[in-house]
Amino acid sequence: MIYNPSYVRKRKIKSIIALLLSTLAAFLGLFWLGFIIFDVIRHGVEGLNLALFVEDPAPPGIPGGGLRNAFVGQLLIVFYATIVGVPIGLLAGIFIAEYARGTKFARVVSVLSDIMVSVPSIVVGTFIYAILVKPVGNVNFGGIVAVGFLSAIIAAFFGMFLSFLINRLFSVSSETTGKLIKAIVATITVLFGLTVFLILSPKLVDRIQGFNGWAGAISLAFIMIPVVLRTTEDMLSLVPWTLREAAFALGASYYNVIKDIAIRAAITGILTGVILSIARVAGETAPLLFTSFNNAYFTTNMNEPMSSLTVTIFNYAMGPYEDWHIKAWAAALVITLFILFITVVARVIISWRYKG
Amino acid sequence: MKGILKRYPLSDILFALISFSASFTVLSLIVATAYVLYDESSLAIHRFGILNFIFSAEWDPVKEVFGAAASLYGTLVTTVLSLLFAIPVSIGIAIFLTEISPHILKTPIGIAIEMLAAIPSIIYGMWGLFTLAPIMANYIEPALQKTLGNIPVVGLLFQGTPQGIDLFTASIVLSIMITPFITSITRDALNLTPDIMKESAYALGATKWEVVKDIMIPYAKLGIYGGIVLALGRALGETMAVAFVLGNNHQISPSLFEAAATITVTLANEFTEADSDIYLSSLFYLALILFTLSFVILAIAKFFLLKVERGYTR
Repeated sequence: MIYNPSYVRKRKIKSIIALLLSTLAAFLGLFWLGFIIFDVIRHGVEGLNLALFVEDPAPPGIPGGGLRNAFVGQLLIVFYATIVGVPIGLLAGIFIAEYARGTKFARVVSVLSDIMVSVPSIVVGTFIYAILVKPVGNVNFGGIVAVGFLSAIIAAFFGMFLSFLINRLFSVSSETTGKLIKAIVATITVLFGLTVFLILSPKLVDRIQGFNGWAGAISLAFIMIPVVLRTTEDMLSLVPWTLREAAFALGASYYNVIKDIAIRAAITGILTGVILSIARVAGETAPLLFTSFNNAYFTTNMNEPMSSLTVTIFNYAMGPYEDWHIKAWAAALVITLFILFITVVARVIISWRYKG
Repeated sequence: MKGILKRYPLSDILFALISFSASFTVLSLIVATAYVLYDESSLAIHRFGILNFIFSAEWDPVKEVFGAAASLYGTLVTTVLSLLFAIPVSIGIAIFLTEISPHILKTPIGIAIEMLAAIPSIIYGMWGLFTLAPIMANYIEPALQKTLGNIPVVGLLFQGTPQGIDLFTASIVLSIMITPFITSITRDALNLTPDIMKESAYALGATKWEVVKDIMIPYAKLGIYGGIVLALGRALGETMAVAFVLGNNHQISPSLFEAAATITVTLANEFTEADSDIYLSSLFYLALILFTLSFVILAIAKFFLLKVERGYTR
């Protein structure tokens, strides 16, 4: 029966048809990608001009004007989201990949953050609305957290610069003086950070008056944290354990091993993950709808409602004016190109660094 | 305490503490989300109950009577339909990428498919509204009505005037969005099939399709399930892509050519307009339902995928 030629032919034809269908499916996927990108470019080029970036919106219904407020708002929101989200994600990833390696705690955090990555972003928006927008008159903890992280990062750079300077200027011979200098540098750094925080926070953060930019930044940070955490964990676990053992054998503490060995070895992957997470949140709309809301005027004050590109696209595209649609398409083109460019670069870096 | 201080350098202890608190933040964020959503929706939970809220289709902000059935129905229909469209296509793409494609094309086509996941959902929404919806309304939906619309029972699905802003268009946009998720996980799972098994099948005279169908797909079964459930979770919570092409219409109609509402669309459209406490609380209730649903579904997906990791690597 098996040698029956017509049976063999039937199986061969079946195989060819099935493989043809799979190939068609792949072409369908490419077709959608091409269709969407082509469409965004075709519509977007029309509205793309200098005025889009440097002018504020004209009153509704009147042609002209640009989207400067949305571009600046988007940049500010994403900037503060990065300031908060990346350090938390990085540190948490380092903890579960290094100190807590193989423990139940690490597994739970890892699985939960995998789930968090896919939790509907609009739910994140409602959560942040409840804690950072609804309690009008309360202290804006979101803003304080954001400014706190900002000053911590500034202080960290300051400390690094200071210790670099001291290492250059003095050659320290004895261990005790070395420790003393380290302690002094650490104290100065902490004091510097505190001062920066005390100067910045009353200037930047006000009480909650309703929708505000801080809430938008924090909700984007919420989405960023698990993404950064998972890539950091994955990249650190790719670093061979023997590398760390070699450093341990030389008497290095775990902190030094993490700082000088593990992170050095995984830095390309980690940075790529950070960049990808920025690309991910740059296109988010749903969490901003009721946190940073929208603002028709230009503002850099994060305590006010703040317009972002994505929410502006939503409002303009749903709006009645033809001019709004053109602007929405132009903004869509800018954001799509930005995200696709970043994603492609990150993918290329990953496949170049981690071949096979 | 003193022993720890003596044994480890101060920098180590400090860094461990800081990084521990960061990872603890992640845990507490999840717990806080669940708690805050529950707390905010408690008013609606007490007023409408659980089953009553889920099965009531009335959504009337004026009379302050709210029920989730219409939104849940929309969520369910769009999710199921989009999975129906996406599963065959994504598995096809995965088979193409693992078995058919020439080696040089594998990476670029793989990256291109993953690009589909990188495009922001709002772009899908705009594209759906301005480009896909008119095409659907003018060509595809009338054609479907003429052919399938005349069959007795199935025809009910295709009633009404095709406007392009409906469940059907939303499902298509969603299916394009979730394709890359199923594809990449299926591809990775298929790639794990040991060569020796494939070679044995070829040696017995199997055709390529038979190897894929009878060796690789059964071997990658768990991974494929995981990918599908993950995509299900994604489709459930997608907001912007659906918000553009669904219209926000709280009704349950058997026709796929009617505007409808999903949980996410309701939230996106009405959250900032909620003027009474019970209205806002009901919206939080919807968000809580969505959060619970997607959490459970994603946990199931994770369960499958973890099983794959354990089963294949050890």
